[in-house]
Amino acid sequence: MAEVLGAIIITLLVSGLRLSTPLLFAALGEKIAERAGVLNLGVEGMMIMGAFAGFMGAVISGNIAIGFLFGIASGALMAALMGFLNLTLRTNQLVAGLAIWLLGLGLTAFLYRLIFGIGVSPYVKPLGPTYIPGLTEIPFVGPVLFNHDPIVYIGWAMVPILYILLFKTKLGLKIRTVGENPKQADTQGVSVVRIRYLAVMIGGAMAGMGGAYLVLVMSGEFVEGMTNARGWIALALVIFGRWHPIGIFGACVLFGMVDAMQFSFQAAGVKAPHQLMLMLPYIMAIAVMAFTYKRTLQPAAIGVPYSREGK
Amino acid sequence: MIVSLVKPSRNSIIRTLIPMGTALLAFVVTAFLLIYGGFDPLEAYGLLLQGSVGGVREIGETLVRSTSLILTGLAIGFAFRCRLWNIGAEGQLYFGAIGAVVIALTAVGQIPVFGVIIAIIFGAIFGGAWAAIAGLLKSRLGVNEIIVTIMLNFIAILFVDFLVRGGPLQAVGFEPQTELIPLTAQLPMLIEGTRLHAGFLLAIGAAILVYLILFKSKLGFSLRATGVNPKAASYAGIDIKKSILITIIISGAIAGVAGAALVQGVNDRLLPHISPGYGFIAIVIALLGREHPLGIVFVAVFFGALMSGANLMYQTMGIPVAIAGTLQALVLIFALIGEFIARWKFKGVGK
Repeated sequence: MAEVLGAIIITLLVSGLRLSTPLLFAALGEKIAERAGVLNLGVEGMMIMGAFAGFMGAVISGNIAIGFLFGIASGALMAALMGFLNLTLRTNQLVAGLAIWLLGLGLTAFLYRLIFGIGVSPYVKPLGPTYIPGLTEIPFVGPVLFNHDPIVYIGWAMVPILYILLFKTKLGLKIRTVGENPKQADTQGVSVVRIRYLAVMIGGAMAGMGGAYLVLVMSGEFVEGMTNARGWIALALVIFGRWHPIGIFGACVLFGMVDAMQFSFQAAGVKAPHQLMLMLPYIMAIAVMAFTYKRTLQPAAIGVPYSREGK
Repeated sequence: MIVSLVKPSRNSIIRTLIPMGTALLAFVVTAFLLIYGGFDPLEAYGLLLQGSVGGVREIGETLVRSTSLILTGLAIGFAFRCRLWNIGAEGQLYFGAIGAVVIALTAVGQIPVFGVIIAIIFGAIFGGAWAAIAGLLKSRLGVNEIIVTIMLNFIAILFVDFLVRGGPLQAVGFEPQTELIPLTAQLPMLIEGTRLHAGFLLAIGAAILVYLILFKSKLGFSLRATGVNPKAASYAGIDIKKSILITIIISGAIAGVAGAALVQGVNDRLLPHISPGYGFIAIVIALLGREHPLGIVFVAVFFGALMSGANLMYQTMGIPVAIAGTLQALVLIFALIGEFIARWKFKGVGK
């Protein structure tokens, strides 16, 4: 019995960490954009674009790594469009984000069917876990922490990397200043628009990476609308994680676990309609928002378009 | 009066025409995608026209689509106009559909005339109640309504799926659907040989009503004032929390009617995925329609035509139906760019 329970717990933790990875990329990326003062509501659109482009890249080249590069590039491209609408044309950030979301959703569904028709579509062999000699064999810890695909580790590495980038580098200081006090940044000779473009595109690249992960590691195929609001959940997790890399990491892992739990419940024979299980992440996202409503830590200039004339 | 509202621009005709002009660009870009896919864009667009306005049946089909789009577009436009970002029309539509079907399947639904009306009212109540969740979280706790309404969409869609697939509302048999609602609860058909139902008139009526509430009533003024400048509105004695709640409930109720109209006018029962994303397209419609009922009706009919035309393109040439969604999103993006160009030109003239 204890062995079975142990196996279930290991499976839960492993799949929880795996499920949290696409959220982690998207949420960390979104955080960079938000720190620079851009509320990017287009994450979902960038993710689905990343999923589609990642799939296409892998199908065309037969190489998962190239698939990921496609995913990253497409996310950044969508983010550039978002930046163009929002930063260059100074469209309302919410409107620009919603436009990017719906464009990603519509365009990927259209292109997928346009290219593959309604017949059998190709399948990409997903990236499997990497065996790490010495570490994977450690009882319990090994299978839970050291038996993942490389992308999971890249995701974990992004947490300290972004922490250092944001809080220990000149660029990070610029990003934060632009988000907190764009006028001050401007008087110090920092190009607000350029920094925001950069931040949004880093965010888009990471959202694209997260989207590509869904296809290239988790499912092996592209399905219309397959992101299933993960981009939106990532937005909630940024708030839940209080705009801090470590907070966001914790939020994402917690969320991955909840997501994994619905599968474990089913495996453990819990008799509940599967639709109600599938609701869990969405209900959880609302709960999380309700518990972290105090928005004192939100970057001050978030959502405010910057114009020099200051009108 | 402390509160000052931005009046609808005087050149609103020009401001409606600009998106229409930039819409052409969206069609050009999509044409290139079609060529890439090996389709003749001229033939495709010919079918689009034929499938949307080519005959009585086609026009009827366009207006059936428009009905759902007008109602959801109004729902979102109403909230947006009051600066409340309700993205949850899709979920509110699903809940409206639940409300309508639940009451229509009881004895009440059997009563002639009354059955139709009460089912629509129930649709509105269910839609409004579902939206109220986001409204309460926003007004009591200050929780961002965008993310909450998005999540509520997914929950509502799954909930309907549960109800009709193994849940309490599933009809006898294996199909995931409810029983047919009685004739007395169905919306009457408007034109012989089409699927056009009285819901279309309901949608037009709703547009007029929304116009009157928003721009001709004290309530509408205070709701808009709350959205534009909550602080000033508060000084003027407006209850902000109440305003937020009222706004989102009205918005959700309109979307709920869209769901009721789908049940009572199109499917005569509740099905999973009863809407192909009307509530999402409605966001584009509300924005392109400048959050004004007249603009929303105009854009909704245009988008309804796109959707019914896309069906013929699919049946005849095998072009994916998702072309409609792509066109709609591109129209919005080009409209945003076009708006910038227009603004920029005006500036030049002014100097």
